[in-house]
Amino acid sequence: MMQNKILIANRGEIALRIIRACKELGIGCVAIYSNSDENSLHVKFADEAICVGPAHASESYLNMNNIISAAVSTGCNAIHPGYGFLAENDKFATIVEKCNLKFIGPTSDAMAKLGNKSMARRIAKEVDIPIVEGSDGPVEDLAAAITVAKHIGYPILIKAVSGGGGKGISIIKNEEELVRLFDLTRHEAEANFGNSQVYIEKYIENPRHIEVQIIADAYGNMVHLGERDCSIQRRNQKMIEEAPSPFVNEKLRGMLGAAAVRLARAVGYQNIGTVEFLVDKDGNYYFMEVNARIQVEHPVTEMVTGVDLVKEQIRIAYRSELPFRQEDVNLSGHALECRLNAEDPSLNFRPAPGLIRNVVLPGGPGVRLDTHIYNNYEVPPYYDSLLVKLITYAPTRKETIRKMRVALEQLIVDGVKTNIEILYLIMHNTNFVRGVYDTGFVRDFLETIKGE
Amino acid sequence: MNNIFEDRKAKVETYKKDIRGKKEKLFKVDIPEGLFVKCEKCNEHIFREDLSTNHYVCLKCRSHFRISARERIKMITDIDSFYELFSNLKTLNPLNFPNYEEKIKQYQVQTNELDAFISGVATLGGEMVAIGVMDSFFMMGSMGSVVGEKVTRLVEYATEKRLPLVIFAASGGARMQEGIFSLMQMAKTSAVCQHHNEAGLLYISVLTNPTTGGVAASFASLGDIIIAEKGALIGFAGQRVIKQTIGEELPENFQTAEFQFKKGFVDMVVDRKDLKKTLVKLLQLHKKAELR
Repeated sequence: MMQNKILIANRGEIALRIIRACKELGIGCVAIYSNSDENSLHVKFADEAICVGPAHASESYLNMNNIISAAVSTGCNAIHPGYGFLAENDKFATIVEKCNLKFIGPTSDAMAKLGNKSMARRIAKEVDIPIVEGSDGPVEDLAAAITVAKHIGYPILIKAVSGGGGKGISIIKNEEELVRLFDLTRHEAEANFGNSQVYIEKYIENPRHIEVQIIADAYGNMVHLGERDCSIQRRNQKMIEEAPSPFVNEKLRGMLGAAAVRLARAVGYQNIGTVEFLVDKDGNYYFMEVNARIQVEHPVTEMVTGVDLVKEQIRIAYRSELPFRQEDVNLSGHALECRLNAEDPSLNFRPAPGLIRNVVLPGGPGVRLDTHIYNNYEVPPYYDSLLVKLITYAPTRKETIRKMRVALEQLIVDGVKTNIEILYLIMHNTNFVRGVYDTGFVRDFLETIKGE
Repeated sequence: MNNIFEDRKAKVETYKKDIRGKKEKLFKVDIPEGLFVKCEKCNEHIFREDLSTNHYVCLKCRSHFRISARERIKMITDIDSFYELFSNLKTLNPLNFPNYEEKIKQYQVQTNELDAFISGVATLGGEMVAIGVMDSFFMMGSMGSVVGEKVTRLVEYATEKRLPLVIFAASGGARMQEGIFSLMQMAKTSAVCQHHNEAGLLYISVLTNPTTGGVAASFASLGDIIIAEKGALIGFAGQRVIKQTIGEELPENFQTAEFQFKKGFVDMVVDRKDLKKTLVKLLQLHKKAELR
């Protein structure tokens, strides 16, 4: 019999996650690595490992030619890109397809469509998914501003084209304010940035970052697997994710899921993907973007649905039919994920690579660890700083939080600085425990603990 | 530390062999022919589509690949503006040179051109020009009666219509198979270039890889402005011949575009991606000066 074999074009915990899926499916797997990753676990645990270049990602994990050569020379017939690196590079997907290898992910065509932000927004609009409306360019005068504002509805933001860091922004609640503040904002922009141009965008109050997992096979079966709440983020870097979202009710879940499936259908999406939304305090949702790949936070969805997303990715790529339909999807229990990074919170979360001397890992029912670290593992400075994904699962949100506190207490990573204390403190924060938070949570939280 | 992984792996392998025993065959991946192109300079494999969107310049070492005359016209002229002239001229075998007709036939099939020179009119950034391009894939762009005649007619056409002239040279020199008839083309093309010059018109000669022999020694070197494409080989005789004749080591970079620029044989060296921009600018400057 012919043997399927997969090249894993990634490193770290996700490479290890994919190796496990391959082995459980009885499919051979080949790891790739850079010169600085020789001692990484994915290299040790794959059936074979092949070096694709020097430490710098551009010469190794992003080196398309070397990766394809590695796949062909080891007899692989598919490539799993993981997340990051080449995962959403539609050119790479195209080359892989043209080399008669399977790309474990969406087709290059669907990826290109969704990867283009303005095209993705246009497609979303065509299938009646709200987007964060705006002026799509600078607004010349007050009359034009009023027209745009009427069209998108108040409240709105006036933003300086050259602005940044929260400066040059005015929040406008009605037309009277717009008349009063439009020219003022322009003058401020001119004074601060030397450019008076401003644009207008819909203002979303206290938004939550909520994303829907979708899965689709090659035969038109398309299912959503509920949402993840990723609002606990620092400067757009997610820290803690959970499923289901404490904010989303059955009705909103249905609407978000249906919207995500509509969008995926519009581009003929295959494999798994995530549709990201901003949701305001009144439950209005706005499409942001599609992540056409497996995501870091996929385990929380796996815990509450019982679906192994990576295995499904592989099965779909080898043209298996989806083994379940929408009505078979049941969400049960609650899952939380904390991302432990090698970073120094006291130095503005600067990456802190180095030698990990000792690791003690928590365990017990409902505790899952996705990690590639071990005793005496040297964290290289070249790649992202994710060390451990700690996932807990229990019937209720409260129990899941309690389990996470215990697990964090028993997780010891000695040798490098990490953000573990921040995670532990958030697990005890009243607003977090009540489930009342938005994307501004971490910013406010760090502000309050600063003096302590 | 690492031994624990090696030990475990070895153990797992032996268990697996004992339990399963059989070895399964792997799929053989069939990468379609021609999907990648290898750079002759740095050996990098380049995805063919990338090469065409990157002006046929190596993405890694920036060495310029040779391109056909049609490709060059597509790259340089405004979209759909090229109108071909004198395309009916065909090569004969004036000296009854053995196998010459077969050879010509073979190149005609390979390149889909009748000979090694394409001539016509086109606009470049809106400026009307008479344009000619040599094709190095057709018998190394060698100049026989047809190439010489087409160059001559193009230059005469430009003189008559008072058009600026742009010629892209790419040639190994005069065509051996036509002997003295080939050499005659050098004088003929040079003479018409002089007429064009006397009419006060602009001639920009672009030397691409390679520009040598009888072509370098005639019309290609007679431009008012001589541009060399980056990395082009430009010279009269081959390096080996010169070395043997003078009995000396040749300097580094001998006969490269950059070398010729240093020695004053060419006026500028331009990267392929900037070539159109440069030509348009020169044409516009010239027009302005003329109007004044």
